[in-house]
Amino acid sequence: MTEHLPALVFLTPLATAISMPVAGHRRPAVCRPIALIAICCMTVLSVASLWSVSVHGEVRYSFSGWLPPIGIEWLADSLAATMVTAVSGLGVLCLLFADGLGERPLGGRAVPYYTMVLLLVAGLSGAIYAGDLFNIFVFLEVVSLSAYALVAVPGGRALVSAFRYLLMGALGTAFYLLGVGYFYAATGALNIADLSQRLPGLLDSKAVMGGLIFMFIGLAIKMALMPLHGWLPDAYSDAPAATVPLLAGLVTKISLLVWARILYWVMAPSAEGGTLTIFALVTTFGILASVAGACLALRQRELKRMFAYGGISHVGLVLIGVGQANETGLAGAMYYLLNDAVMQCSLFVLAGFLALRYGASTLDELARAHVRNPWAIVTFVAVGLGMVGLPPTGGFFGKLRILLGTLEADNNIAAAAVVLTTLITLGYFAQVFEKLVRSGSESASADQTETPWPLRATMAALVAAIVGLGIWNDQIVALLVDATAPLGI
Amino acid sequence: MLELIEAALRRPNLIAFVLLLLWGLYITITHHNYVKKLVGLYIVQTSVIFFLVTTGAKEGATVPVIMSGIEAPGADDYVNPLPQVLTLTAIVVQIATLGVSLGLVSRIYRRFGSLDEDEVLEKLG
Repeated sequence: MTEHLPALVFLTPLATAISMPVAGHRRPAVCRPIALIAICCMTVLSVASLWSVSVHGEVRYSFSGWLPPIGIEWLADSLAATMVTAVSGLGVLCLLFADGLGERPLGGRAVPYYTMVLLLVAGLSGAIYAGDLFNIFVFLEVVSLSAYALVAVPGGRALVSAFRYLLMGALGTAFYLLGVGYFYAATGALNIADLSQRLPGLLDSKAVMGGLIFMFIGLAIKMALMPLHGWLPDAYSDAPAATVPLLAGLVTKISLLVWARILYWVMAPSAEGGTLTIFALVTTFGILASVAGACLALRQRELKRMFAYGGISHVGLVLIGVGQANETGLAGAMYYLLNDAVMQCSLFVLAGFLALRYGASTLDELARAHVRNPWAIVTFVAVGLGMVGLPPTGGFFGKLRILLGTLEADNNIAAAAVVLTTLITLGYFAQVFEKLVRSGSESASADQTETPWPLRATMAALVAAIVGLGIWNDQIVALLVDATAPLGI
Repeated sequence: MLELIEAALRRPNLIAFVLLLLWGLYITITHHNYVKKLVGLYIVQTSVIFFLVTTGAKEGATVPVIMSGIEAPGADDYVNPLPQVLTLTAIVVQIATLGVSLGLVSRIYRRFGSLDEDEVLEKLG
């Protein structure tokens, strides 16, 4: 039974998504509970899968018994199992949050909306598990298509943002597919394990290098790497408040994970030739994105846009860790990726809550609003500590490990960029915190309305996750290092 | 330089692919009409698919179905079916993208009464 867990984790949301139009045809109101139950089941299964992987080692699942490299392979190592657990857990929290937020009801549109949410989660878990480059392409596209549709839900301005996102995203997938084509033409293989055995003799080939660069461009658009980030702030500030946490927390992170897989699992970093140039390139873009993203975040007056630029700068931080070509950097980057998913999710949960409850979507409005909600303030303090990188949150240990990785690789500029980003992040969070604490000191009317329990549960779980990731950082990093151990970096 | 041109001329499929790709990118970037942008995007995607198909092409080869009566079929007699299978999936993905994008464009048109990017942005303020 346990060997089928990776497939079941993926099939639960997919099957529910497909049956959603039938189930919700008469009564659209049942869609939300069905989606919530499906993602809860998925969380239970993925935790079971994580447990089984950490006890029995990695699982290589071949669909319908066709062995790789001919069949389709699911690669469930401890990295994939951890990420899928994070995806499904955050999925549950986002649906709970949507429940408590009480946005304009979707009515008849509930059926397509929840189908899209489930497809998004299914696509994310597929892209994490997929053991060959082409299936990664297919699942990235499933994720992106659902994301375009979800961004466009409110209509109006969001339509234009979604269309721009679509243009950029579709060009990104086209470039990624082109890179996969180059790899296939050069090696005749698509399976990750198969490729890693065939590539070492071919690293000087222009086709392999070209393919790698095309894949990087494609994934860089999808992960909103600095010069190609144009679609993200608009898309995230116009998308419905209940959906953004899901998109911000997970969608860009998946491309980062895929890129790390390609760099370390397909190309071996110890290899000679042009590979090291690619790692240097990745580090350079990481430095650029982390510092410039943080500077842009400092300039924003609108909360959602500020958080979006904060996310862009954190993508850069993860890339700095990935580009160091050593185990400390990679494990730190993957651990920070996990933290960043949780933190981005919490930031947009907060932004959505402040906008809908207090009408505060810019810094000035926040200063006028009277925010005395203990749940929101505690969440904000926790996520602020995490984003800036102070103990005991996971953000601190992630940044520390990335920093140790850069020092191990003797890359002082990258180390300086990590520290500089931390300082600038402190700058913009201090700004928000100052507005939040001083807000509405002249008006004495306390806000009387009770916070609904799903909101309280979401915020409490997010705070617990941010702090828990920090407290158990050794164990989690050990899991991630376990996954990278066979690479022999 | 001359060798580069010579090498390129030996692979006319790659020249066609590069031309299509750049042409599509040019249309997507320069045109202000949403539908024309989509046409450009479609050409880019098609060029990638074209590239995938041509990597599997082989002169004098046939479909990869083993006929009865042929003794010891060799790899030279058949085209590689995998690029074509990949292409099939890529086309499905392309169609899905086109469907979603046309849906978005039609909603933009109903909301703003225009397909021109400048006019729509003007109405957004």
